[in-house]
Amino acid sequence: MVDLSQYLPILIFLIIALGLSALFVFLPMGVARLTGAHNPDAEKLSEYECGFPAFEDPRSQFDVRFYLVAILFIIFDLEAAFLFPWAVTVFDLGWSAWIGMMIFLGILTVGFVYEWKSGALDWE
Amino acid sequence: MQLQSSLALIAPEIVLSLAGLALLLIAAWSRNAGRLVTILAAVALGGASVLVAPALCSGAMGPDTLAFEGQFAADAFASFAKILIFVSAIACLMVAPRFFDRDGAIRAEYPVLMLFAALGMAIMVSATDFMTLYIGLELNSLAAYVLASFMRSDDRSAEAGLKYFVLGALASGILLYGISLVYGFTGTTSFEGARAAMSGELSMGMLFGLIFVLAGLAFKIAAVPFHMWTPDVYEGAPTPVTTFFATAPKVAAVALTARVALDAFGMQMDAWRQIVIFAALASIVVGALGAIGQSNLKRLLAYSSINNVGFILIGLAAGTAAGVSAMLVYLAIYVAMSLGSFVAVLMLRNAQGEQVEGLADIAGLSSTRPLLALCLAVMMFSLAGIPPLFGFWGKFVVFWAAVEADLVALAAIGIAASVIGAFYYIKVVKVMYFDEPAGVVTGRSDWAHWLILGVTTAAMSPLGYLLTRVLGDLADRAAEALLFVA
Repeated sequence: MVDLSQYLPILIFLIIALGLSALFVFLPMGVARLTGAHNPDAEKLSEYECGFPAFEDPRSQFDVRFYLVAILFIIFDLEAAFLFPWAVTVFDLGWSAWIGMMIFLGILTVGFVYEWKSGALDWE
Repeated sequence: MQLQSSLALIAPEIVLSLAGLALLLIAAWSRNAGRLVTILAAVALGGASVLVAPALCSGAMGPDTLAFEGQFAADAFASFAKILIFVSAIACLMVAPRFFDRDGAIRAEYPVLMLFAALGMAIMVSATDFMTLYIGLELNSLAAYVLASFMRSDDRSAEAGLKYFVLGALASGILLYGISLVYGFTGTTSFEGARAAMSGELSMGMLFGLIFVLAGLAFKIAAVPFHMWTPDVYEGAPTPVTTFFATAPKVAAVALTARVALDAFGMQMDAWRQIVIFAALASIVVGALGAIGQSNLKRLLAYSSINNVGFILIGLAAGTAAGVSAMLVYLAIYVAMSLGSFVAVLMLRNAQGEQVEGLADIAGLSSTRPLLALCLAVMMFSLAGIPPLFGFWGKFVVFWAAVEADLVALAAIGIAASVIGAFYYIKVVKVMYFDEPAGVVTGRSDWAHWLILGVTTAAMSPLGYLLTRVLGDLADRAAEALLFVA
C-alpha cells in the first residue's frame, strides 16, 4: 500500500499556500477598511476586464478582422520565439541546424503566401 | 551519413508534406481547382503507400528502422497502420467532390487538410518518443478540427468543430500532463528509456503518468469513458469527413496506443492491462446500448464505432504478439466496414439531391434501391459479426487471442455484449426490408461511391475469407516488429 506519510511535505506546502493566499486577499481588504474612506460606487465595484464592459448585450457588433490579424500575428510571433534559441546555438550545431531552420521558415513562408493570396491581409 | 539514412526512412512523410505545401499554393492561386487538387492529393497518398509497402512486406524491424536517433520508427507495424490510413484517406477524398457539389464545387482546402491530417497520423504511428507522438497527434488533430467544421454555413458542422476542438484540447492537456509526469519520474521522453526506467517497481508518479497518458489516448480512439464527443461530432461533421474520422484517425490512435502500451509501458503490463480491459468492456456495452435509441444513421454508426473500439482493445489487452496481430486484422476489417457503411449513408439522397440520414428515411429501401439496400445489409450483418460475413473473422481472431492469453472472462463478456449490438444492426436491416417504403431515397449516386461500396461489400462478403491468409501474415509481421524490443 502507498505510504502516505511521505507526502507530508506536500500537505504542509498546500496548507502554507492556502494560508498565504488567504492572507494576500483579506489583509489588503482589512487594511483598506480600517485606514481609508469607505464609500464604494458602481465604477469601483465593477470587475476589471481589460477595458471592456464585463456585462453587456452579446449581440453587439465587433470586427472579426481584428481577431484574424491577432491570430496571424501570434503565428509569426511564435516563429520569432523559435528563432532565438536557434540563433545562439546555430554555429555549434552546424549546417543541419541551419538547413532545418530554413525548412521551417520555408514552410511558414508557404503559409504566409497562402494567407496573402486568400486575402486574409486585405483590410477591405 | 546517419542523417541520410534517417531521411530515407521518412521518405513517405516527406512526400506527403511536400505535396501538401505544393497543393496549398495551387489552392491559393486558383480558387476553383478543387477537383484537380483532390486528384493530386490522392496520387500523393497513393505514392506514399507505395513507399511504405516494402517495409511491411519485408517485415522491417529493429535498430535499422529507427530514424533521428530513436525518435521515429519506420517498421512493419507502422507500415501496416500507414497503409490503412492512406487507403482510407484516398477513399474519403474520392467520395468528397460529389458531396460538396451541392453547395458549389469542392474547396481545394479539403484535400490539403486531409494530406496534413494523414501526415500527422503517419508520424503518430511511427512515434517512438513522446515528443514525436505529440507533434503527430497535434498535426492530425488541428487538421481534423478544421475538417469537422468545414461546412461553415451549417450550424451543426460548426458545433461539431467547436465541440471537437474544446474536448480535443482538453484531452491534449491530459495527455501532456501524463507525459510530463512520465518524463519527471523516468527522466526521458523516449519509449525505450521509459521502458528501461519502468522495469523495476512502479512508483506512484509513474502510475499517474501512465494513467493520464492512457486517458488522453482513450479520448483520441473514442473509448468509453472518453467517448462523449463522438456521436455529436460524427453527426455534425460533413459525411465524407465523418467517414474519415471513423477510419484513419482511429487506426492511427489505436496503433499509437498499442505502441505506447507495449513499448513504453511494456514492463508494467499489469498496470495498464486493467485500464484497457475496463475501457474495452465499457466501450462494448455503452456502444451497444447507446445505439439502440438512435434515429440518425450517423449517430448510430458513431455508437457502432465506439462498440468496435471495444473489440479492438480486447486484442490489445491480450498483450501478446497474437493479440496485436488480431487487433490489426480487426482494424483492417473495421476500416473496410466503416468505409462501406458511411459511403452507403452518403449515397442516400432525396429527389432534390439533398442528403438524408434518418433511420425512418431508409424504410423500404429494398424495394426502391435494391442494390444499395443489399450492400448496406451486408455491412450491418458484418458489423454484427454474423458468421458467413467477414466481420465475424475479425471478432473471432480477437476473442481467440484473448482466450489464448487467459482472458476467458473478458472474451465471454465481449461475446455476450456483441449480441446486444446485433439488435440495432439487425433493426436497420429490418427497417430497410420489412417496413413500408418511405420513398425518400430516390437520388442518383456517383460512380466513385459505387466503386468503394462495391469493393468493401465484396471484401466483407464470404469472398473476404480468401484474404485471411495474406492479412493474417502481414499482421503477424507487423506485430512481431512491434514486440521486437521485448
